[in-house]
Amino acid sequence: MERREFIKSALLAGLTIKFTPDLFPQKTVTGNPEMAVVQGDSPAAITKEALQILGGMKRFVSRGDKVIIKPNIGWDRTPEMAACTNPEVVKTLVELALTAGAKEVIVMDHTINQPKRCYVRSGIQEAASQAGARVLFAEDQRLKKVALKGEWLKEWEVYQDFMEVDKIINVPIAKVHSLSKVTLGMKNWLGAIGGSRNQLHQKIDQAMVDLAAFFRPALTVLDGYRILFRNGPQGGLISDTKLMKTIVAGIDPVAVDAYGATFFDYKPQDLLFLRLAQERGLGKYELEKVKIEKRKI
Amino acid sequence: MKRGKSKKYFWLQRLRIFSQFAFFTLFFILFLKTHYAGEDYLKTTVERYFHFDPLLALTTIIGSRLIYAALLYSGITVLATLLLGRFVCGWICPLGALHQFFSFIFKKIRWLRPKKDDRASLAPKYFILIFILVASILTVNLAGYLDPLSFLFRSLSVYFSPFLNQVLLQTGNLAFALGLKTLGENMGQAMGNLALNSVFQNAFLIGLLFLIVLALNAWKERFWCRYLCPTGALLGLFSRFNLFKLKIDQEKCINCHLCSIQCETNARPYPVDEWRSSECIYCQTCAAICPTAAISFPLRWQAEKIKGIDLSRRKVLLTSLTSLLIAPIFKITWHRQRSFPALIRPPGSLPEAEFLSKCVRCGECMKACPTNGLQPAVTEAGPEGVWTPVLVPKIGYCEYYCSLCTQVCPTGAIRELTIEEKTKVKIGTAWIDKSRCLPYALGKPCIVCEEHCPVSPKAIQLIKVETLTPEGKTVSNLAPFVNVETCIGCGICENKCVVVNEPAIRVSSIGEQRSEKNRLILEVTGENQSQ
Repeated sequence: MERREFIKSALLAGLTIKFTPDLFPQKTVTGNPEMAVVQGDSPAAITKEALQILGGMKRFVSRGDKVIIKPNIGWDRTPEMAACTNPEVVKTLVELALTAGAKEVIVMDHTINQPKRCYVRSGIQEAASQAGARVLFAEDQRLKKVALKGEWLKEWEVYQDFMEVDKIINVPIAKVHSLSKVTLGMKNWLGAIGGSRNQLHQKIDQAMVDLAAFFRPALTVLDGYRILFRNGPQGGLISDTKLMKTIVAGIDPVAVDAYGATFFDYKPQDLLFLRLAQERGLGKYELEKVKIEKRKI
Repeated sequence: MKRGKSKKYFWLQRLRIFSQFAFFTLFFILFLKTHYAGEDYLKTTVERYFHFDPLLALTTIIGSRLIYAALLYSGITVLATLLLGRFVCGWICPLGALHQFFSFIFKKIRWLRPKKDDRASLAPKYFILIFILVASILTVNLAGYLDPLSFLFRSLSVYFSPFLNQVLLQTGNLAFALGLKTLGENMGQAMGNLALNSVFQNAFLIGLLFLIVLALNAWKERFWCRYLCPTGALLGLFSRFNLFKLKIDQEKCINCHLCSIQCETNARPYPVDEWRSSECIYCQTCAAICPTAAISFPLRWQAEKIKGIDLSRRKVLLTSLTSLLIAPIFKITWHRQRSFPALIRPPGSLPEAEFLSKCVRCGECMKACPTNGLQPAVTEAGPEGVWTPVLVPKIGYCEYYCSLCTQVCPTGAIRELTIEEKTKVKIGTAWIDKSRCLPYALGKPCIVCEEHCPVSPKAIQLIKVETLTPEGKTVSNLAPFVNVETCIGCGICENKCVVVNEPAIRVSSIGEQRSEKNRLILEVTGENQSQ
């Protein structure tokens, strides 16, 4: 009888802890800023520092978690063209996630140019696998039509890989785009879906918000090491890029994008997708209301 | 006297089978390696086999009046054949190996067993050869259709590659359905790594032809090699010395005919003196199966004459005349006067006339193309250019930083380019169809073509356009405008256009750099003229 009682009470205690969020408040969380902006020469070091400021990767990844990291690997371009996320940034995040106890880290993107070429020439395949991630090609068989319940997109084909993980980390790169003006974190979700993505451009801002409302990353790390300010979103010349040497990491995806917009001298309130996202309650673009910690290393 | 089969020839026969297996495997590995595997430049000369093919060398050299250095390797084949006969057909040719394999299988199945009728003339392949050679004098290159290497590689590229891709895909689907997630994932990743092209126009015909040719082995053993192969015929003509000559030991021979019945190419080892040296492929079967070990191939220095093949002067002349009459028909087409809009050749392609005289339709470039965009031409290139490579942007575009197709062309019909050179080659020009383009026709926003344009600064620029809607409202949108000077014709805009069935932006061959006639903007630069 003793054993049965023990199991019963243990179960009860466990359930109580699980469903009473304020029972054991995690002190570390409340004290940390919502957003970290770090500038420095090494992409890896500033990424690490930004995560440190936010309270460490442990805040976002728990032991045994299955994590997917979503960089922008859309184009067949080398890192100095700033069309894809910096491989060092991705690599660092993989390392941090694994150190934080992640069981498995997947890195994938639905590319625009030929997948293998994008994976290889962006440098991300090699960098992320070195760090211990499983770098997967987006497979058509893994697409599944799901209810997005968006304002515009009611349903769409999503890679199941994104739905089978515990945590999603979004790692976009900051670039200009001739329709949404900039492509940052929220637009990066176009790489997590299948279907005829190009049709989304007919109402791109709404599509970005609908997708952002669906994916809900635990963490957004915006790569602003080298940004693309001309000829977006793929550039082609080094002179189309600018070295900003900055990483913006945060919990609020809207706030991170709002900060990213300032790289290109856009006021966040001028960007339709940011306004729509705030209206939807995905976060806030008014940066003055966000607790930001900036650092230079 | 001790009777029994020859051990030596038994092992030589095994060695031959091993050699066929090895050369076929090598061919297949090179086939699989013909793709983007993570390096901009292929490290292996994946097209090396073709350089050893004397038929391709001869027809492209005659046709183009130029010598492409790599094809001089075929001299080795010619020299070896002069001395040793058609051993290449029996020991090395990968298509021959495939035919042999299917003959072997069919022989095991009673209702598919090939007929042992040795009366059919073996001459057709010689007439095919003569036809092809004469046509190449008139710069019509027909070699690729029946050359064994071209035939095999093309069939593998266009038919087998999509087939293999389907196998991987369906295995993956099945694995996922059965809950074997790891297997399913592995299949998907293998597909990503192999990047097998999966769609080809005219694949039905090319694939069917391949299967028919294989099935013909159920009618006659090595049907292709006996009756059709022009390269085999050419090697037959070269096989003059055949240093190892068939010899039947009259004392041992029991006149059982087994050797002649079992001969793969109907070279008639028996009766004595009827051996057709130009047909013998040195497969060693006769010597190995002879119940009394009466057959051997001793070394003997003596020139041979072609025997048992009816190549009368009259027939040769008649075939040549037929070719002289038929070959020009291929050229009666307006494609020579005016470029066909859909004829977008791979970057680095020679001007059309030279290209046609050199292209052997091997499908190397189609296998190498990472986007599946290079397709066998059906009508795009006129009757002369059937199955030559053409970029079909609706299927796949030309990847900006890729020059693989230029690296694998075995005859130099596509000139080898570095990545840097390639990004500057103009293969066509994009044109906007305003009656279908969303901002122009519907007043809806869409900048997809502009976004995808790989050139910097972009060749597709955006302009503000106003569209009047039926409600009387004027909507303003950004709309594409093509800069014909900087557009390289890669076709990614056409490929990604949302108007999928007939894209609102389409590439046509106008402006292609390789042609002097198919030009749009007149360039008058004093500097160039003075140079």
